[in-house]
Amino acid sequence: MGEYQSARLDGVFNALCDPTRRAILARLTDADARVTDIAGDFPISLNSISKHIRMLERAGLLRRSIVGRDHVLTLNAGPLAEAQAWIEKYRRFWEGRLAALDAFVTAKNAKKRKRK
Amino acid sequence: MNAVLASAAVVVRRVIAASAEDLFDAWLDPEALAQWMRPGTINSTVARVEPRVGGAYEITMQGQSGPIVHKGVYRVIERPKRLVFTWISGPTENKETQVTVDFVRVDKRTEVIVTHEQLPESAMPSHRNGWTSGLEHLDEACQKGLIG
Repeated sequence: MGEYQSARLDGVFNALCDPTRRAILARLTDADARVTDIAGDFPISLNSISKHIRMLERAGLLRRSIVGRDHVLTLNAGPLAEAQAWIEKYRRFWEGRLAALDAFVTAKNAKKRKRK
Repeated sequence: MNAVLASAAVVVRRVIAASAEDLFDAWLDPEALAQWMRPGTINSTVARVEPRVGGAYEITMQGQSGPIVHKGVYRVIERPKRLVFTWISGPTENKETQVTVDFVRVDKRTEVIVTHEQLPESAMPSHRNGWTSGLEHLDEACQKGLIG
């Protein structure tokens, strides 16, 4: 379960580390969109947009449904929440540690100064 | 596909009114670590440190539901500017991650910058730059609330 989860997280982070893919996700937070609509929004080929979309699909960040001739994309926010949880956990941990480091070193220096 | 970007990073900064040397030393001194590497729910921390490149460390935090062991190896020790070590623990699912601590003088104070990355071993260390820039964007995305 742990292994599975971290492999999935890697996919999520990988998918997010690209401005075009983030822009596609941002576009889908407003509303579902057709692949052709999205392709029209970006100054790159339909082929490269399709590659970006496939990566986002593999990461589980979006779902594709086929309606007649149209491929409609829907945002799936679940894996994003998992990635966010990892980031939040360590952000809190290190913020706490740096506050403690601050208190420790400044108290130690204050003692040193008193002794002089 | 760029494997170098295959991960997440957390960047946390704090400006502290102390010298870079004093702050740097607190990361490699077991007695100091026992004092400040102790999050709220931890009763006590014991640290064992081999402060050389390739040397190992082990920080055991005694929690209410048992000990939490953190261990790793020092990759860069550049006093008082930079410290890089691997970080493996239960919470990282025993996967190797990497912590970089940078110490930057700001007037008479020092900014301590911690970057914790889920770094795949194969990506180290030559791809550092590519990594960092990609992750800064990711961090920005998180800040903007795009993620989550």
